[in-house]
Amino acid sequence: MSETTMNRRHFLKFGLAGLATTTISARYLSREAFSGGPAEEKSPHQWAMVIDQSKCAGCGYCLKACQAHNDVAPDKSWTRLVEAEPVGGKEVFLPMPCMQCQDAPCVDICPVKASYHRSDGIVMMDYDRCIGCRYCEMACPYGARSFNWEEFTGPNPAVPAWGQPDVPRRPRGVVEKCSFCFQRIDRGLEYGLTPGVDQAATPACVVACPYGARIFGDLNDPNSPVSKALADHSSYRLREDLGTEPRVYYLPVRSSEEREEIVPCSSNA
Amino acid sequence: MFKQRISFLRQPFFWWVAALLTIMAIGLAAAFVIFTRGLVVTNLTDLVPWGFWIGIDLSSIALSGGAFLLSAAVYILGIKKLQPVARTAVFMGLIGYSMAVLTLLLDIGRPDRFWHSLLYWNIHSPLWEVTMCVTLYLTVLALEVTPIVGHSDWVQSRWPGLGNRLGSVHKLAPVLAILGLGLSMLHQSSLGATYGVLKARPIWYRPGLAVLFIVSAMAAGPAMVVLASTLAGKITARARVDRSLLDMVARFIGWVLVAYLYLRFWDALSMSYTYEPGRSEGLMYLTKGPFALNFWIGEIALGIVIPMVILLNEKWRQNSRLLITALAFVVLGLVFYRWDTNMVGQLVVFNQIPQALTPQYTHYRPSLIEIAAGTAVIAYGLLAFTIGVRYLGIVDHEVVEEHEDVYVPQPAVSTD
Repeated sequence: MSETTMNRRHFLKFGLAGLATTTISARYLSREAFSGGPAEEKSPHQWAMVIDQSKCAGCGYCLKACQAHNDVAPDKSWTRLVEAEPVGGKEVFLPMPCMQCQDAPCVDICPVKASYHRSDGIVMMDYDRCIGCRYCEMACPYGARSFNWEEFTGPNPAVPAWGQPDVPRRPRGVVEKCSFCFQRIDRGLEYGLTPGVDQAATPACVVACPYGARIFGDLNDPNSPVSKALADHSSYRLREDLGTEPRVYYLPVRSSEEREEIVPCSSNA
Repeated sequence: MFKQRISFLRQPFFWWVAALLTIMAIGLAAAFVIFTRGLVVTNLTDLVPWGFWIGIDLSSIALSGGAFLLSAAVYILGIKKLQPVARTAVFMGLIGYSMAVLTLLLDIGRPDRFWHSLLYWNIHSPLWEVTMCVTLYLTVLALEVTPIVGHSDWVQSRWPGLGNRLGSVHKLAPVLAILGLGLSMLHQSSLGATYGVLKARPIWYRPGLAVLFIVSAMAAGPAMVVLASTLAGKITARARVDRSLLDMVARFIGWVLVAYLYLRFWDALSMSYTYEPGRSEGLMYLTKGPFALNFWIGEIALGIVIPMVILLNEKWRQNSRLLITALAFVVLGLVFYRWDTNMVGQLVVFNQIPQALTPQYTHYRPSLIEIAAGTAVIAYGLLAFTIGVRYLGIVDHEVVEEHEDVYVPQPAVSTD
């Protein structure tokens, strides 16, 4: 086709083709080029939690501690306690904080990048950016998110018995979730503490558990409590078939006898 | 003067507008409660975060699909005689999209931050893509409607200078048609993908949703335009319709329904063989459970099969009562489809307990406040269309475009 025959029809064809190409290439450019979030140095730590189901008695102390330290309204909970099928005639519980997925659907689909990954693996919420569309609630396979349908005013019933809030309350109209108590980790690291070992640097739910059912630490450190627990026991993660790569591991209840041995000292229960 | 005012009261037009304004006033009060007290006044929950309003969003965007199709037909395929119908479609598109934006402002928790998605991009989010495209497309529609307003007698008789200047935007029509086609193809299907990419909800997680969303919009969007035009033509003398033009579009809708039925069939059939926990339950919920009536009667019989047969039969299509029925069914069927799709993925709640992959079910019924605010948005749409018909001659197939010169081919690109 010579230039002289370039008419509107051709122009439109090329225009359409060009538009389609631009759009498609923009959509499929490499993830790395565009995924960013706030600029942050690569962290040497990769935080993870291990929950030993054979030790969990379902007392709910973790929920109370979370409620207080993160100032969560009493009608919602950042970590849920689900009753699972009994094993060997004993109750089994499934405490479910945010799984801090490495391939987090919520991070992928948040239209404003209010959900993002910290370089230490924690899935964070930017409460100043969230528009409250609740798409992440639809995308989360674990039901880890809760929306602030109304403002949380008045006193927190878990304070001061279960601790003091270390983070501000979230406003009405945003989605909130567990953050592995990033504030305790960050402050602890500043003071040279080791999260997972030193209580002040460890998530509140882990510290509050009277049975030691929750273990926390750095996957990059072979001597951390989580690395050791995962090396010594078989573990599983929830809905691994989805490919979300959760950072919360579970040590399953294996048999009733084995469980008998680990029954904790119950000074607190 | 006074007598004129009194006689005004006897016109059905007055009562129609008064009724719409009343509904809007109630809705405004509801919106006030929603903005001051928060979304706690809705029946939405963390398990069902998207409800009645999302149904209105999805439906009004899909029913605006006539705008991009007819603009493309006129300015890209060169079917010039459809230009008067495209005018109607574009105006209705602007109404539909503004309805969606209004509903979204009600729905998001932080309407004061609606602009965040324009500033903070997450190109992996279908919802971001939808937001960007809808915003851009709203601009395109506004530009496409500008010359219609400019050329209208109402503006021309008052401010002819301004009217001509607005009218000159018509020169952009071919470019706007291309932009509109691109943007619409993207976001109409991305609305389906918004659900289709969610692996957490097995009944949604499939590529077909994006395709089904745009194909159903290609049937229901033009159906809405032909339906509204036909009804307006019956009700008021201010709307002058050309039956042959509408007939052409109606036949096209019939064929789109054939394609849509074909895609729906294979989509449903393939889903029934996946044996995926959660998906099978979702499909059962739709086809044999509480949504069976919605699905078989609303989506399939009313939404596809009956209108398809009517619209593809020339004799039946000519019967205006049958035509109106068929088109209304298509529109209704689309609303059913969007509503059911949005609800079913949320109502089947997946259980994460590894030993027991049993799905649980939840329920949702919109609260009165949700209904009041949502209905007000629909009333706004009807009022805007009424005003368009009465003052802007939006349904007028007999007007000879005196501005023929502005959309002949040569302005698009130089030929030398």
